[in-house]
Amino acid sequence: MRRCLARPAAVIGLALLALLAVAIVFADLLAPYSPIMADPLHSLESPSSLHLLGTDVSGMDVLSRIIFATRINLLVGIVSVAGAFLVGVPIGLLTGFYRGFVSALVMRLFDFIQSFPVFVLGMALVSVLGQEIWNVALVLAVLFVPLFARLVRAEVLSLRERPFISAARCSGASDLAVMVRHLLPNALTPALVQLSISVGMAILLTAGLSFIGAGVRMPTPEWGLMVSSGAQQMILGVWWVSLFPGIAIVIAVLCFALLGDEMRRLLDPTRHRR
Amino acid sequence: MRIVLARVSLIPPQLFGVLLVTFMLVRLLPGDPALLMLGNMATPDAIASLRQRLGLDQGLWTQFVRYLGRVLHGDLGTSIFTSHPVVQDLIERAPATLELISYAMIVTVTAGVGLAVLSVIARGRSFDYVTRVYGLAAGALPDFWVGLLLIFFLYHVAGWAPAPFGRLDTYLTAPRAITGFYTLDSLLTGNWADLGSAAARLVLPVATISIVNTGAMMKMTQTVFAGVYDSAFIRHARASGLPQRRIIVIALKNSLPPIITTAGFLFGFLLGAAVLVETIFSWGGLGQYAVQAVINSDYPALQGFVMVAAVFVLLVYLVVDVLYELVDPRIRI
Amino acid sequence: MAGEDRSTTLEVDHLGIAFGAGAAEHAVLRDVTFRLGRNEILGIVGETGAGKSVLAQALVGLLPGDGRVVQGEIRVNGRPLAAMNERDRRQLRGGAISLIGTSAKTLLDPVETVGRQIARVLRAHRPCGRRAAWRQTVQLLGDVGIIDSEQRARAYPHELSGGMAQRVVIAMALIARPDIILADDATLGLDATVQVQVLDLLVARSRERGVSVILITHDLGIVAHYCDRVAIMRAGRIEELQAVQGFLAQPGTAYSESLLGAARARPVPADHLSTATQRLGDAGEAVAPRGETLLVVENLQKLFAAGAAQPPLRAVDGVSFSLARGETLALVGESGSGKTTIGQCLLRLLTATAGGMRFDGIDIAALTERQFRPLRQRMQMVFQEPYVALNPRWRVCDLISEPLRLLEPVSRRDRQARVNELLDLVQLPRRLAEAYPHQLTAGEQKRIGIARALATRPDFVVFDEPTTALDIRVRAQIIDLIRSLQVRTGLSALFITHDLNSVRSLAHNVIVLNRGQIVERGETETIFARPQHAYTRLLLTAELPIEWSASRRSGTPVPVLTAERGASARR
Repeated sequence: MRRCLARPAAVIGLALLALLAVAIVFADLLAPYSPIMADPLHSLESPSSLHLLGTDVSGMDVLSRIIFATRINLLVGIVSVAGAFLVGVPIGLLTGFYRGFVSALVMRLFDFIQSFPVFVLGMALVSVLGQEIWNVALVLAVLFVPLFARLVRAEVLSLRERPFISAARCSGASDLAVMVRHLLPNALTPALVQLSISVGMAILLTAGLSFIGAGVRMPTPEWGLMVSSGAQQMILGVWWVSLFPGIAIVIAVLCFALLGDEMRRLLDPTRHRR
Repeated sequence: MRIVLARVSLIPPQLFGVLLVTFMLVRLLPGDPALLMLGNMATPDAIASLRQRLGLDQGLWTQFVRYLGRVLHGDLGTSIFTSHPVVQDLIERAPATLELISYAMIVTVTAGVGLAVLSVIARGRSFDYVTRVYGLAAGALPDFWVGLLLIFFLYHVAGWAPAPFGRLDTYLTAPRAITGFYTLDSLLTGNWADLGSAAARLVLPVATISIVNTGAMMKMTQTVFAGVYDSAFIRHARASGLPQRRIIVIALKNSLPPIITTAGFLFGFLLGAAVLVETIFSWGGLGQYAVQAVINSDYPALQGFVMVAAVFVLLVYLVVDVLYELVDPRIRI
Repeated sequence: MAGEDRSTTLEVDHLGIAFGAGAAEHAVLRDVTFRLGRNEILGIVGETGAGKSVLAQALVGLLPGDGRVVQGEIRVNGRPLAAMNERDRRQLRGGAISLIGTSAKTLLDPVETVGRQIARVLRAHRPCGRRAAWRQTVQLLGDVGIIDSEQRARAYPHELSGGMAQRVVIAMALIARPDIILADDATLGLDATVQVQVLDLLVARSRERGVSVILITHDLGIVAHYCDRVAIMRAGRIEELQAVQGFLAQPGTAYSESLLGAARARPVPADHLSTATQRLGDAGEAVAPRGETLLVVENLQKLFAAGAAQPPLRAVDGVSFSLARGETLALVGESGSGKTTIGQCLLRLLTATAGGMRFDGIDIAALTERQFRPLRQRMQMVFQEPYVALNPRWRVCDLISEPLRLLEPVSRRDRQARVNELLDLVQLPRRLAEAYPHQLTAGEQKRIGIARALATRPDFVVFDEPTTALDIRVRAQIIDLIRSLQVRTGLSALFITHDLNSVRSLAHNVIVLNRGQIVERGETETIFARPQHAYTRLLLTAELPIEWSASRRSGTPVPVLTAERGASARR
């Protein structure tokens, strides 16, 4: 515990994660109002004891919406990245281990997908598939697959030349054993670090897509959409509608970035001291 | 030079791939593309004629070949929203976006590399700590939100920044188009009023993009530069009595290849960022055009934008590869 | 020793260096005192962790991290280092004291031509025009034995071989005419013939120019051949400091004695071979008739593609030999001789291009990987670099028991027992079973590698450079361990090395390889006593055994080896 406290980044990361978890689990208890109930009589009210973070154009309670949006934003982020990880890691392992025509072809394809600016391709795909939350998750997953595949492949390519792989072969390890028992555990570190960081990236992208209207639609509570709904009023000095959901995004992304950094340390094989 | 040629020869197949993707993009549309493209108000006649014009009644390959033919003749279709040819729309709007992201790029790379170098040299001191916190925080900032905050504080509260509507004050007319960059054109034509206005209007959007992306640039450079700065040959240079400034230059020169790669990637990425930032500042460039296309289900326009983005990235990567060869003698033939 | 007179260039007085702050402070150097005379060559010898490199860094005022002088002082030409400001110190480095480090290629800026790198050091210390600096650089490159120096000065470091790069670094150290050169393990990792050339050159140029040299090394052979005096360092102290001749004749401490003992070769006992077979019989296993052939290699060939336009690199080019049961055969050669490639072909880590390999009558060249796999329990390999040949995420017990999967499945307890047995065999404490590789010393890692190879009780083991990169005493321990294994298990072994000293200690027969071909073969003693081939003689001259006096080697200049200019550093 004391070792943990000596690492403020880890503590902050875990605290933020706890905060997000509480918001997800106890949204119904915590949120003072319904997240989707419009109340035109109380539109654009500044923060007060009644509406702690104010209300938006349609009079919906900003705080309640932020709390409920945690569910959607985190779910999309985690599901899409987890999917990409589960697909990308085996592809990276196989293409790194068997370097044939098919591997080269797959990598070319990934090069190609990655040569599009992420946001541009994501925007186009979502708008074509239909602006639905699950389409956003699907598109993000597709966009993240090359990321994980490449990370794992790059590691495998450098690891497979290392003498301990030859040594394992001498000890009778088969292809499968070399891949699963020797390469995978060593090659996974950067992908695992990226796993956490990518959840943050996915949250940012989801919010960005919703902000321009290519993500989810009103009245679904979603952070990017909420920032967007206050964007017009910002110039007029109505700051609370956009400010607070933005802070929620920063908290969530920061949380996963910090956890990613911590993961990097935990996964270092030379961590154990004698 | 041979690398350049080898690299250029890769462009046609990559372009082919880009066109395949943009073509498939519209094929992904659930339902009838003709109906979606024309919207719900379309008459059955119009749908039938569009179906025929798009060749939807023919095989996929025939359709693709026809699409290729049209693109090669500079026909990207007609925008449903603006009713102009998509090519014309794109050409009109491209300079605005390029001007924005070029300045953002210059600021981001300069600041990112500068901060990284300073923080590595000042390792263990408070400046290093501050940059680390900034690097972490910048990665978590949504650019659209930062833009709104800048508008709120600098325009609404402080009143320092000009209104966030477009590239020029409304009472001014744009300078004669030479490069399409308002700042350069007004400079070339000596139109000082335009220059001042265009520069002032650039400040907030460029700041928005730079604040958000400098962090990533800085972190990457930090990793690379620190690795070089701790390497055996730098220690040897120091043990040989070379002055500190010289050593920094040597280390920076050795860090250039990955920095160039990252900068190239960043340039492409900024095109995506421009979509959001242009929306906030009503910039009237490609990004805003793309957003309108999304909102209005204007698929030809969207298709055109995706294609331009991909081609832009291809060109940037080409330049990156050439620069890379120039700075690293180890990969020269 | 001489006091404050002008013949002394460097004085180190009761120097103490510590790292870490507060409670974590730990001393790395304690009470180090010595004088360096003008034009003197002092050897500083010590094992890993003795503080040699920290001493070198302290002498140029560049301690890493939070290291600092806590006691005593360093004076260069009478001026205390501590009293100098940053500018003076910079002038001192490279100007008065030059440092040459290990593996020259990593010491050079990869994106600048070597000539400009040298010139830039000159210009940092002496007012000098760009052109004059270039002229001096080219001339000095010629002086350090670089042919076509004008043209070579325009080369980038990656275009040079290791030996050439080392010469460039020497030129860089000499260019500003310093008073002292510190060579910190400067020839580590170079081939023996190149090492001798480089050291000969460094010493000759330094003597000519009146430069004092400190040779920091763990190789007593180097000390015996090049140094005037030697300092033995251990745990941050200088244990002994005396003239080399006196030291070799009569070391002053027990520690020095143990170092010297470890550095001496131990000839193979004559009855070794018969003892081995005897023991095998005692163990109740099949008694092999003495000299029965276990392995036959015929006309082995391995080519590596060298690029589209070039002919393939002939790493192994028509090599034939055979190995008897209980025999230890050494493959000797420099880097690029193909010796490691042969070992890897035998164990099918590489696929041979052509040629036959028969193990115990089975044609292994013809087998598929699946068919070969059962044979792996009989053929094993000990890998060169101890740490990287062990999966960093596995514990020692898992590492050692991995090869047991090749055998019949055994119970957990049996496996545990076998792990303990193997740890005993390689003389490691059983508690290490739970450790991870990075927690072990290099010597312990090496032993784990050996234990792994012996886990399945193989008939045949390839030892790839088992003694390189180890401290003298550890090296001697590993040699002793292998010798005892030879005796106890009747092992047949192929011993791949460039370390002639260990060959003499371990092998019955020797094959000398050069550029993929066998140049000479025969019994170990015969080869060492009466080498026939010029290349073998060259290898032997390059050896620096402490038994030979410096006088015997001086006067026999080492011919420049043509192979060295061939830049290929492939092993």
